[in-house]
Amino acid sequence: MTVQAPIVSFAGVNKIFNPGSAKETVALRDINLAIEAGSFVSVIGPSGCGKSTLLRLVGDLIQPTAGEVQVKGKPARQARLNQDYGIVFQAPVLFEWRSILKNIQLPMELRGTTPAERDKRARELLGLVELTGFERHYPWQLSGGMQQRASIARALAIQPELLLMDEPFGALDEMTRERMNMELHNIWRQTGTTVLFVTHSIPEAVFLSTRILVMSARPGEIMHVVEVNLPVPRGEHTRAEAAYFEVEREVREWLRRAQGYSS
Amino acid sequence: MVAPRPGVQLVTRIRRFAPALVLFVAVLFLWELAIRLFDVQQFLLPAPSVIAAAFAQNLDRLLFVGWFTTKEALGGFLIGCTAGIVVAFATARWSTMSQTLMPFAIAANSVPIIAFAPIVNNWFGVDNPLSKMLIVAVIVFFPMMINTVRGLTLVDPAALELMRANAASELQVLLKLRVPNALPYMFNAFKVAATLSMIGAVVSEYFGGSRSALGIFITQEAAQFRFANAWSAIIVASIVGITFYLAVLLAERLAIPWHSSVRSHD
Repeated sequence: MTVQAPIVSFAGVNKIFNPGSAKETVALRDINLAIEAGSFVSVIGPSGCGKSTLLRLVGDLIQPTAGEVQVKGKPARQARLNQDYGIVFQAPVLFEWRSILKNIQLPMELRGTTPAERDKRARELLGLVELTGFERHYPWQLSGGMQQRASIARALAIQPELLLMDEPFGALDEMTRERMNMELHNIWRQTGTTVLFVTHSIPEAVFLSTRILVMSARPGEIMHVVEVNLPVPRGEHTRAEAAYFEVEREVREWLRRAQGYSS
Repeated sequence: MVAPRPGVQLVTRIRRFAPALVLFVAVLFLWELAIRLFDVQQFLLPAPSVIAAAFAQNLDRLLFVGWFTTKEALGGFLIGCTAGIVVAFATARWSTMSQTLMPFAIAANSVPIIAFAPIVNNWFGVDNPLSKMLIVAVIVFFPMMINTVRGLTLVDPAALELMRANAASELQVLLKLRVPNALPYMFNAFKVAATLSMIGAVVSEYFGGSRSALGIFITQEAAQFRFANAWSAIIVASIVGITFYLAVLLAERLAIPWHSSVRSHD
């Protein structure tokens, strides 16, 4: 068996905001991390612990103060320029002047995909996120959950090997969130894409992940890694399994300790 | 979303405009009544019926002078808006330029430009429509520029990140994000500019202008105590101003049907 190169790696990464000023904040300290292709990795931790900062470093939306972030064996910047990842934010960030179909096509448009191919792919994706029939609707005509599904479809438009998700279901109600979790799990299985998922919900992290990184309060450090060996495919039955509760208990325990760090 | 049937739509429309229409007729009626009842002097306020008669009597002349001034307003609107948009794009592109120019633009926006009318008349000649166009152009330039800069720069940071995450070029960010984002701001400026341009043209004519101009017609008729004629010319100016505004409103509906200011009418 060959050892696969990680799709995301952090080597000695520090992130300090406003270094040298009175507002200096150490957001992340000494992060070393390797994410294998195909895995579903959640990052969980107290608010303000640098979860989002970690994700944004992978996306090259911010740069580390020290250390190196690599994506697919390249510097993060190069990976961004190659459109190697898709991204989903907490807000859907759909352009209000574009129909749902056109919104989904945006990343392909920026890449220069032909209109015919864009159209075909976008319609496939609408099917995948169960929004067929809403091609010509505008974002404001859709509910919050539907808008977020459209934004997931947009992130998948360029068939990325890596999907970055920053609390994508944080603004949704509990019922919608559980449904979206189920759908995301199925999308992950169907596409085989690696997911880096920031959340503050323990059940969500346990249900979706193959690995959970528990972070401590600021300065953010990876305190503990929980391997989630629940069988795939997961479904309603998963939430009733003893192993599920065991993992949930473990994550909760570590999260409590993480919070204790700060107070 | 179920679209209402056309017939139903028409009825709701009439219902919506009915109160305004009733108010309009009521005001005219009370105006007429008050003047007859209290025997108000003509030079203070002519009755609507007298103004209407003057309007009908002078129709040819009113249309002629009205069109003359409308051309000034339109010309000034086009020059001023184009210049405002061009400068705004340059300003938004280079942030140092924006930081240098914006304070001046905002300050200049509060200057009563119309006060320069006599000076500009002197530059280009009192009879030259260009002098009025220039005044109008300067008046509409500042709101146009300021609003366009705002629209181009006040972009959702998350949308900019999305573009960045997808390796969008500067040009792509401009065309696919900043420009569509700026359109509602620009239409607000167009609306302001449409109203200002007619006001600017007529008022700058008060400081002297061609005998074919609406503003000159108003001042001359008033000077000769033909107040009903002056009033009928004011009505022409109002109709042109309102038409201009409605034209912009229609253009807005066609250009940005997705925007909340346009779609919230259901």
